[in-house]
Amino acid sequence: MRARRDRALRVAVATVVALALGAGSASSAAADERIVALTPFTANTLAQLGIVPVGIGQTLGGRDRLAPALRGVRQLPLSHPNGPNLEQLAALNAQLVFSSPTWQRGHAGMRRLGMRVVESEPRSVSAMITATRNIGRIVGREAQARQRAAAAQRRIAAATRGIPRKKPRVLLLLGVGRTPYAFLENSWGGDVLRRAGARLLTGGLKANGGLARISNETVVKRNPDIIIAVPHATPENVPALARYLRTNPAWRRTSAARNKRVYVSQDNSLLQAGTDVERTIRQVRTRYLRNG
Amino acid sequence: MILRRSLVVAVAATALVSATIASLTLGAVDVPVRDVIDALRGDAEPGPLREIVLELRLPRTFSAIIVGAGLAVAGALLQGALANPLASPDVIGVTGGAGFGAALILLVFPNSIALLPVGALAFGLVAATLVFAIALAGPNPGGIGRLILAGIAVSALFGAATTSLLTAYPERVQSAIFFLAGGLTSNGWTEVEVVWPYFTAGFVLAVLLIRPLDRLALGDDVAQSLGTHPRTIRLGAGMAAALLAAAAASIAGLLGFLGLVIPHVVRLAGGTSRHGYVVPVSALSGAALLLAGDTLARTIKAPIELPVGPLMVALGVPLFLFLLRRAV
Repeated sequence: MRARRDRALRVAVATVVALALGAGSASSAAADERIVALTPFTANTLAQLGIVPVGIGQTLGGRDRLAPALRGVRQLPLSHPNGPNLEQLAALNAQLVFSSPTWQRGHAGMRRLGMRVVESEPRSVSAMITATRNIGRIVGREAQARQRAAAAQRRIAAATRGIPRKKPRVLLLLGVGRTPYAFLENSWGGDVLRRAGARLLTGGLKANGGLARISNETVVKRNPDIIIAVPHATPENVPALARYLRTNPAWRRTSAARNKRVYVSQDNSLLQAGTDVERTIRQVRTRYLRNG
Repeated sequence: MILRRSLVVAVAATALVSATIASLTLGAVDVPVRDVIDALRGDAEPGPLREIVLELRLPRTFSAIIVGAGLAVAGALLQGALANPLASPDVIGVTGGAGFGAALILLVFPNSIALLPVGALAFGLVAATLVFAIALAGPNPGGIGRLILAGIAVSALFGAATTSLLTAYPERVQSAIFFLAGGLTSNGWTEVEVVWPYFTAGFVLAVLLIRPLDRLALGDDVAQSLGTHPRTIRLGAGMAAALLAAAAASIAGLLGFLGLVIPHVVRLAGGTSRHGYVVPVSALSGAALLLAGDTLARTIKAPIELPVGPLMVALGVPLFLFLLRRAV
């Protein structure tokens, strides 16, 4: 009886040791792996998990949204539609690349160079939570990632507290060319706005990529209370862009234009997923929706 | 033969009228026909429906008509003047220049977005001027081959410059894509107000060139013996085409297909190459095709708007291929 108990104890101890060693080797393997993160979300998530990638993708709105641990990391310029230069990537000796569907065309080349490519570009807040856990699993920091995800959920819940029942109708645009694209429900910006207490003017519409050029007739008919543009411009261009949008002949009679509630966002937090989503939600509430 | 030509004119005119009615009555928002008529007659109450008809649909319909007509006439003039069936506004560099002008504003100076039509127009005309300056300089000035080669070179130059801009500002590319793909917008009368003098000058010049182009079709020697100066006519046709195509590009982006195919469709359908027939019927047909394509583009998946280029090609190419097959 005692011998059987001793044997069971030895098996249990051996199992625990094996599991611990296994976890340790997975973790150290991830830490040893040379990782490149092309999106701000994956770069920041890795930094939060204690992993500093060897390269990160150039960010659209400057480096403000990058974690301090990433400040000295080599930035790779990204071009459409291939993403980073393969020679630069090869020079970094990257083994694992966290990329985005945007750069899909370049993925074959990366794989040919022996790199493992993982696409991770969440388009909704809940997808961001799932992606955080996935990244943790891939780099061997699953427990940490789970904790991070849970903490993010708590912060998001706090940031979305106290939203009034009456929600303003909002048109969120990308670009300010003569044919701006509207963010739909299945876009990052669309989901963030919805959580911040807005009703999307494009509610009910879905398209690949979460963006579509919508008819100005619909804009006039649905009459947005607020228009927010996410431009690709420097801050000094913002007043001129806001003026252009307010005087757009198609929209000048909308409530948004009449009440001077046409805004131009100064960063890319509504365009690309970020780990600081609760900050973005608070900003949207105070700056644009005025419900926070 | 007269019956055949008259039939083609009647079909083109009916298509244009039908497309105009469809363009004014169909859209993302359901506006009853009664309200459309009231709005057009000035009897409608102020409100969103009146605004949709008068501020969005009417300017867009008008833009589609002048752009479609302008591009088709530009193609007809160039094909006649250069005696080349492949001639279109692309050949004299206008499309490449306008694309660069638009990309420059959209990508480098986005805060001057209101200048987009001016930029496209100006660079379209600059490119055409460069082509003619090169073609008229050196030995054998004004020769057709020289003009076409100069056009290809200048187009390549502006095309490369546009690509460089797109590469230099990858994060702003999305703003420029729709312009480069070609398509109309519902931005009221703003763009038409900028470019109407250029359209007017182009159309007037085109009408004046009809007879000289018919003489030119007989060969340079015969034309000269009839008192026509081939080089002057080619220059005039190039100028008219440049004005029309640059003005069209500043409103609707790059829609090269119309200028190339419509004059051929008209010649094949009507069975004649007389410019007195080809130029006006091309104008009617180009306007009808662009208007029909644009109405489809903004209603098929309404309220999402699709680019007009592919739809127009889908409408025009089967007809073109059918006529081409019968002709050969």
